[in-house]
Amino acid sequence: MARKDFLDIASLSREEVDLLLDQATPFKELFTRSVKKVPALKGKSVLMLFYEPSTRTLSSFEVAAKRLSADVIDLDVPHSSVTKGETVKDTVDTLQAMRADYIVVRHKMSGLPQAIARQTRASVINAGDGAHAHPTQALLDAFTLREVFPDLSGRKVLIAGDILHSRVARSTSRLLLTLGVEVGFLGPGSLNPRSGPEGIRRFTDFDEALRWKPDTVYLLRVQMERQDVQYFPGVQEYHRVYGITRERLDRIQGEGVYIMHPGPVNRGVELCHEVMDYERSLINQQVENGIAARMAVLYSLKPQTDLQDADQDRT
Amino acid sequence: MPIRIEHKVEAMRLLIKGGKIAAEEGPLVPGDVLIIDGVITAVGEGLDVPPEAQVIEAEGKIVAPAMFDAHVHFREPGQEYKEDIAHGTEAAINGGVTGVVMMPNTSPAIDSPAVVRSILERAREVSRIPVYTSGCITKGRAGGELSGIDGMRQLGVVMLTDDGDPVANPAVLRNAMEYATPFGMFFASHCEVAELSGPRALNEGKISYQLGIKGSPACSEEICMDRDIRLAHAAGARIHIQHVSSAIGMETIRWWKQMGAEVTAEVSPHHLIFNEEDIGDYDTHYKMNPPLRSVDDNAALLEGLKEGVFDLIATDHAPHSAFEKEQDFVSAPNGITGLETALVSLHDRFIASGQIGWDLIVKRYSAEPRRMMGLEVVPVEKSKPADLIVFDPAGETTFSREFMRSKSVNTPFLDKTLQGRVELVVRGSEILLQR
Repeated sequence: MARKDFLDIASLSREEVDLLLDQATPFKELFTRSVKKVPALKGKSVLMLFYEPSTRTLSSFEVAAKRLSADVIDLDVPHSSVTKGETVKDTVDTLQAMRADYIVVRHKMSGLPQAIARQTRASVINAGDGAHAHPTQALLDAFTLREVFPDLSGRKVLIAGDILHSRVARSTSRLLLTLGVEVGFLGPGSLNPRSGPEGIRRFTDFDEALRWKPDTVYLLRVQMERQDVQYFPGVQEYHRVYGITRERLDRIQGEGVYIMHPGPVNRGVELCHEVMDYERSLINQQVENGIAARMAVLYSLKPQTDLQDADQDRT
Repeated sequence: MPIRIEHKVEAMRLLIKGGKIAAEEGPLVPGDVLIIDGVITAVGEGLDVPPEAQVIEAEGKIVAPAMFDAHVHFREPGQEYKEDIAHGTEAAINGGVTGVVMMPNTSPAIDSPAVVRSILERAREVSRIPVYTSGCITKGRAGGELSGIDGMRQLGVVMLTDDGDPVANPAVLRNAMEYATPFGMFFASHCEVAELSGPRALNEGKISYQLGIKGSPACSEEICMDRDIRLAHAAGARIHIQHVSSAIGMETIRWWKQMGAEVTAEVSPHHLIFNEEDIGDYDTHYKMNPPLRSVDDNAALLEGLKEGVFDLIATDHAPHSAFEKEQDFVSAPNGITGLETALVSLHDRFIASGQIGWDLIVKRYSAEPRRMMGLEVVPVEKSKPADLIVFDPAGETTFSREFMRSKSVNTPFLDKTLQGRVELVVRGSEILLQR
């Protein structure tokens, strides 16, 4: 794969997806060994540029980079309004001084990693931008599903929750469609856009969605902080209408349906706490696979930072 | 191509030879045009060349009334780094436009006789074309207290608008309408319900979903449009709806005209030519408000233009500096420049392909906007003052930074080459532009 950046799912070909998924497998096997490190990125540096607070994704990338023997620089970006109004060029100028080979970006503004990528020779990896994309999450989700269903084609995944504000829903659905999975979106009418992507079944009723016979229900985190105006009356009502209640868990258990969640979960909102002990919950597996998938991404990209030095010598 | 600027010549005699004359009705008519001391003294085929006359060969070219843009942002006072009256009016001339109406969202806002006076004085100093300005409905465009309406009227202001921040309280707007209508003033509305528009970045639809940015639905514009026309109708006021962007918006105007409301409406070249799909990978050159909508809306707007639902074409020339447009898509300001590209882009897209004729452009981008402002129209006819352009339909224009006269170049046409070229602009005894 000769790709410099990893920004979204839309620009990946089926071949690239398969390559990345295949690459994640040996990395995951590595975790069972006593030495969990390979020297693949020795001498390279990975810059963590998280403009939005994150612990899970940030640590996952850090572990992934360290297991590839890269140096990790965590830029302590103020999570405040400083970022709003900063031009992309200002950001990139700051980054040049760090001389990183890989830049992992998370930003609340959709499209910002793309803009950075256009202006740097380093490989840019999108760790989540606004409601636009979260492609490494999508990759780990597909990898997790493939462990359960070696042939994903024709399987059905129901993505449930706040579709409107979710970059996970956008990227994961896109990748699953690429892999031949049938995707349904379930959510309150106010959070489940009618003008969404083509080829996705839209449900606003949980029972109707379950009658569609999904193999997996993928729950999204209800993000109250992203809601500028109220989209549903309250979390209790949300849980009753759109959450995995104990009753729904019984039904799901009876039908052998798997459950996924990008984390962190809101117990009592999108799921009741019994789900965490459900034998077909893939939530912890997703976390572990996140490291392997991110290693695969870092390993596959081709930064052009060596060319940058050549350019500078010339001028 | 270098531009020669020739200032007022005494005893100016100009013969434009062999062109085809465009009017707001009817087909192109072959004819020479003789201008003496700023007045068209003869129009017809095979005119003799008078002694000492300068002759412009216009074989295969169009001679048309000069354009008039009823919606421009010149950013003066307050944001002269984006645009000012001197550059804005030169940009107008560069695009074949010889009259403009400024919007009042300057800093300070144009909400008092003092600001109006300073703008008109500035225009007299630096501009080679007439500059008109609208005035605010409310002080500081804040939607509360009414602005100095009568004082502005005495300086010639006829159009009142709060521009991009429409008056939210309908009672305030209604009172303003009832107050100012007896003065012969009219209202212009940028239509939007702010609460529905989110960050005012792009149309709500499949592209906003894909890009992960909350969209501004067409109903936000349509609700406000309907409200404002309804209020004007009730108040006996005349209202002009700016930059209609959606099919239902166009039909709303049509319906209200059938109901007998005193409403006029404009459509912008960018809403006719571009749509949300053009945004691609977050290209902020396609970010404006109202946003670009769908391909279907493009078609409906063109239909509305052809059928006379839209009275005029206006650009909403909205300059922004490069560093502002280089921000992320949500933070970047709304707006696209238009004065220099409007006529050529409309020619390239719609006239050259035979979808519309010159008569429509003359009617909608020259005559009707002047009528709306209470000005004389400028047909290429004997004994009318000279206010015309020569346009080469076979020529090309490359909208390079060097070509542009505006301080800003926030347009998707930057560095693009389009079919058609403004070759000559004459107003009175002055040749404003000759390529």
